[in-house]
Amino acid sequence: MLLPAFFFLVLFYVYPTLYNLMNSFTDLSLYGLRRGGNWIGVRNYVELMTGKEFRRVLYNTTVWLTLTGVSVRIVLGLLLAFLINSDTLKKYRLTALFQVLLIVPWATPPIVAVVIWRWMLDPRAGVVNTLLVGSGLVATPVAFLSDVSYVWPALITSITWNTLPLVTLTFLASLKSVPGELLEAAAVDGATKLRRARYVVLPHMMPAIVIMTLMSTFWTFNNFAYVWLTTGAGPGLHTNVMATEVYLKAFVDNRLGYSSAVGIVMAALMTGFGLVYLRLIAQRQLREAF
Amino acid sequence: MARQLEAVEVQVLPRVRGRRRWGSLLTEFLILAVALLVLTVMVYPTAWIFFASFKTQETLFSGEFADYTLANYMRLFESGFGVFVLNSLTIALMAVVISTFVAVIAAYVFSRKRFRWKAAVFGSVMLGQTFPWIILVTPVFILFARLGLLNTYKGMIFCYVAVTLPFSVYLLVGYLESVPRSLDEAAIIDGCPPFQVIWRIVFPIMLPGVVATATYSFLLCWSEYLFALAFLTKTEMKTMPLALYAFFGEHTTEWGQVMAASALATLPTLALFLPLQTKLSAGLAAGSVKQ
Repeated sequence: MLLPAFFFLVLFYVYPTLYNLMNSFTDLSLYGLRRGGNWIGVRNYVELMTGKEFRRVLYNTTVWLTLTGVSVRIVLGLLLAFLINSDTLKKYRLTALFQVLLIVPWATPPIVAVVIWRWMLDPRAGVVNTLLVGSGLVATPVAFLSDVSYVWPALITSITWNTLPLVTLTFLASLKSVPGELLEAAAVDGATKLRRARYVVLPHMMPAIVIMTLMSTFWTFNNFAYVWLTTGAGPGLHTNVMATEVYLKAFVDNRLGYSSAVGIVMAALMTGFGLVYLRLIAQRQLREAF
Repeated sequence: MARQLEAVEVQVLPRVRGRRRWGSLLTEFLILAVALLVLTVMVYPTAWIFFASFKTQETLFSGEFADYTLANYMRLFESGFGVFVLNSLTIALMAVVISTFVAVIAAYVFSRKRFRWKAAVFGSVMLGQTFPWIILVTPVFILFARLGLLNTYKGMIFCYVAVTLPFSVYLLVGYLESVPRSLDEAAIIDGCPPFQVIWRIVFPIMLPGVVATATYSFLLCWSEYLFALAFLTKTEMKTMPLALYAFFGEHTTEWGQVMAASALATLPTLALFLPLQTKLSAGLAAGSVKQ
């Protein structure tokens, strides 16, 4: 009964990975597909490990895109969940409204999100610059997506906008499932709001926080479309990440062999991460289920 | 509960009450202000797309509340955009149906059957989620070229089934845990064949979970860009995200049409998500994460 599932998974994931592994030891080029590449051993990997460009790509992917991007999302998601669930919003019956309206960025396809944010951050027509210049905060419009000092924050802002609702709503669902008696008991014992949040609510939410952090991490790390469509890895190669590097090396430089090597490193990193994920999350689920 | 607490404080510290009320009013005001700001930032960009798609090229950026028109949509469809919408719908719907069907069976097996290496097999399916898709592009392209699957619905549907399968299985295994085992066990004892158990007994009970999973898959397929970019090179086969982006690149001056196309791309997912949102996020928070 598992055969249909495995038909898709083996053909789509296992076979291509083995094919990549093989290619990563060759100098295969996009034009020489029929002829095949020559075996060059680990030379691609040596080039990759010693080259300056790859170090930058690795830094961009891990530090900027993943670490910064995911932390911002998790922290904002938590704050927003607390805000939506706060007594004030409940009092004015705004919680439900928020929950519904938060769907809007989430339901906006990434491609559309890229289009909107490229417009909003545009130096000439964009609303962000209109607001900044209009309020006198800056004198001249900022070219967010082509200025190296703003491009990462701008990119992360647009990705966060699109991905924050899922994180927030998941946290909110978890926050709402905190047993009321627990909170009341803590309140009766004289725990302040802050202490209740720290010692009662957060521990209860921990599983949701862990799973969202892990899932966001591999969704972000592996993502190609956001960076490629927003900045095209530019200006120059300033926002080049691993996913765009694989693409650039294969389809711009025509070096399939080297591109495969980058891909294998990428897959290895994520498999390592995936094993941690399985240990922490799926194992719990496995224990329950089996 | 908060009210109880206040009552206690009033008894103990009656004199501070006045200052307290002003303080809490100020806090309330601040919270509401922040909430309003957040809401604006989250909703404004998408709302603006819908708003702008009905405006003329001249008044697009002026923010005037004048002369609304369907011209952008008319011109969009005249330029043949309907084909791309149809391609996207066909591929996404077929892929979601197949993927959900396969995932329900797989999830049932993982949740109910016992066999050797089960944990390892389930783990490897889950690893599919952590997989970087970008590295599949070249090998699958070559495979598809050999099998004649480039520029076909079949090829794209295959891709999207494979892409959505791991996460669907993951979500459905979570949902299945809330379906009492005694139900299907009773059916098996009564001599019900396994497929009937799945479709007659388990499926109807887990239907909300199935719908949520299918919606999630649909969003993924509907907005997928990378594989469509690589495997669909003929214009008449392209999907909506490709067409939208190409349009955006070529016609940056034609903002009205770009906005109309963006609105069309967002409408189906918005319509699907609104009724389902609580189920989706609750499923991720509780259904899949057992504590």
